Amino acid sequence: MISAYYFGAIALVLIGLYAVLVKKNLLKILIGLSIMETGVNLLLISIGYVSGRSAPILSEGITASKAVDPIPQALVLTAIVIGVATTAMALSVAIILYEKYGTLNIEEIRRLRG
Amino acid sequence: MNELLLIVFSPLIAGFLAWLLRVKGVKEAVGIIGSLIPLILLIKAYPSLSQNNLTFTLNVAGFEVGFMLSRLSWVFSMIAAVVGFTAILGMASTAKDSYEWLFALMSLTGVLGVFTANDLITFFVFWEVMTFASFMMVFKFNRGASLKYFVLSIIGAYAMLVAIGIIYAKTGSITFADISTAFSKDAMSKMLGGSGIFTKTETMLIYGLFLLAFGVKAGMFPLHVWAPDAYSETNQSYTAMFSGVLSKAGVYGFILLYVLMYGKLIVEFGHFRSAPAFGYIIAFLGGLTIIVGGILAALQEDIRKLFAYSSISQIGYILVGIGVGTALSIEAAIYHAISHALFKGLFFLIVATIIYRTGKTEFKDFGGLAEKMPFTFAMAFIAILSLAGIPPLVGFASKWLIFEAVIHENLPILGGMVFFGSAIGFVYLIRFTYAVWFGQRPSDIENTKDAPLPLAIAMGILGTLNVIFGVAPGLVAQELNKLFGQQIIGGNIWELDLGFGRYNGLLLTIWMTIGLLIAAIVYFLGASVRKVPVTDTYQSGNPVTMEYNLTIRRNFFLPLKEAMAFWLRISFDKLYHDIWKSMEDFAETARNYIYNGNVQAYAWYLAIILIILAAMGV
Repeated sequence: MISAYYFGAIALVLIGLYAVLVKKNLLKILIGLSIMETGVNLLLISIGYVSGRSAPILSEGITASKAVDPIPQALVLTAIVIGVATTAMALSVAIILYEKYGTLNIEEIRRLRG
Repeated sequence: MNELLLIVFSPLIAGFLAWLLRVKGVKEAVGIIGSLIPLILLIKAYPSLSQNNLTFTLNVAGFEVGFMLSRLSWVFSMIAAVVGFTAILGMASTAKDSYEWLFALMSLTGVLGVFTANDLITFFVFWEVMTFASFMMVFKFNRGASLKYFVLSIIGAYAMLVAIGIIYAKTGSITFADISTAFSKDAMSKMLGGSGIFTKTETMLIYGLFLLAFGVKAGMFPLHVWAPDAYSETNQSYTAMFSGVLSKAGVYGFILLYVLMYGKLIVEFGHFRSAPAFGYIIAFLGGLTIIVGGILAALQEDIRKLFAYSSISQIGYILVGIGVGTALSIEAAIYHAISHALFKGLFFLIVATIIYRTGKTEFKDFGGLAEKMPFTFAMAFIAILSLAGIPPLVGFASKWLIFEAVIHENLPILGGMVFFGSAIGFVYLIRFTYAVWFGQRPSDIENTKDAPLPLAIAMGILGTLNVIFGVAPGLVAQELNKLFGQQIIGGNIWELDLGFGRYNGLLLTIWMTIGLLIAAIVYFLGASVRKVPVTDTYQSGNPVTMEYNLTIRRNFFLPLKEAMAFWLRISFDKLYHDIWKSMEDFAETARNYIYNGNVQAYAWYLAIILIILAAMGV
């Protein structure tokens, strides 16, 4: 039986992918990208999870053998920052595209670009 | 220091020095000395060949580069050294900068390396050195021609590399001796019904790949299309070596095919009439090469193109000789390789002289040069007689041997092709003879001087050799007999004796001289000379009208061209061009559909690939 965490994370990725592949509105595509990114982050985190253990912060009563895998958490921290940065840049590009073409429909933009 | 190493690398070192020095006078001297060293060392190495072969192995970063000077490779290396030396000598007049010296000498190193290589990897490396250097020589003069040459050469080279790879994978060795042993063992076990290491398909594949590789270099039909452009669009002195020697690398490759896998190929392919079937393919393509090259040579208006096609045509004879596959025919083919190098080298040096002195290349601009350039004309006379196969020059001896070899094996189609080639040889040579040397002289080449000294010496060397090997054909034949270790062509140094025909060069020379003396006496005693205007030209009894404008200098073979219009439309050059064009179109269309600039489409590709990977269980 596949774990609910994996299932949920992969479902989020697929929903995001669906938006990227099918939607014509640039903002919706960006939303799709964001959803995908969330899904990927959740997947990474759930890979590192060991059931019954606590956060990997060494304090009283918690030794290294009682914490979950810390590496995916560090990875995800990086990925979140990168994700936010790319989203911000993509949004600024969307603003410029709207100013230039007056539409956010990607097919319309492609046609206007020639 | 090993002699072989010096023979192979001294031209390259001299080329680099000439390129670095760039001083007028010095770079020429360095280059000529660099091309003279192999010649001297090869002559010096000759006596030691009778005891054993000279070998040398060089260790380069774990790779063994083996060289060997056997009798066969000595003969070919001598061709390269002699014609290479004269071509380099001619370049002293015609080369414009040190770039040409570097690459001309580099290609000499390449071709000497090919002839003295003792394993397939060395063979391939020097083959590529030769291709690269000659490509650079053409590149400087004409990009289009050089690219066509390079692309075809690369296709050939990769074909050879694949074949070498298959052979290495199966036998685990690259030296010629080991491979030859492996193939003959394989043939033996195949004959006894065992399963050899090479299957029939693999043998055919290796044969086909080698045929492609060597065929491109030799200029075999239908892979000859690079040759006319490359030969004409480069330094003409260099073309003497390009056409005379570099094309022999392909011929040497075909002989190597016999040395390496003769038995195996016979077992797999069987015989066709009296020739081995695999050889008959080479011979038949050689025959087509003769005809196509000959006819196209007759139709050219450019003097350089004429000799480029003629060179292709003559290579056809060598291929026919190799393909027929008897000891006599292979000996005849090597003889013709020698004579082709001598007379074609001479021809291109003559062309170089003419172009150097007049700056013109088309027949319509020439005429009456015999008076102005007597020495060059004398050399041209020797070369014309030699190519046309008129005794007592070397071209006759070698062509006669090929004719005899083909007829003796009872191969009528090949015989017909070879004879046709000889006839068409006269057709294009008569054009060169009259249009350039005789008739009215255009006023703008009135002050043409004779050949410059280096070119004159170079032509003199080749001209003398043409005569010597023609009057004393046995000199070459006796040497070639030693390749096979038995008396295949009998007779002494003046006479060739095949058992069913003989040719005595000296006797013929004496009779011809007497005949010429009698004719001269008759002429000077009582010939009445009538002056005829040059424009007084007739065709089939009708005066030639101006609309046709058939003079020997312009459109002389126009009726032939019109008669053959249908066949001339079938051009392999155009075919390759069309194939290339449609490949380009296809790629362009595919690019437009796949790489369409739509980000969502790319996202789809990604998704599809991910699904495929997931389905494969990666």
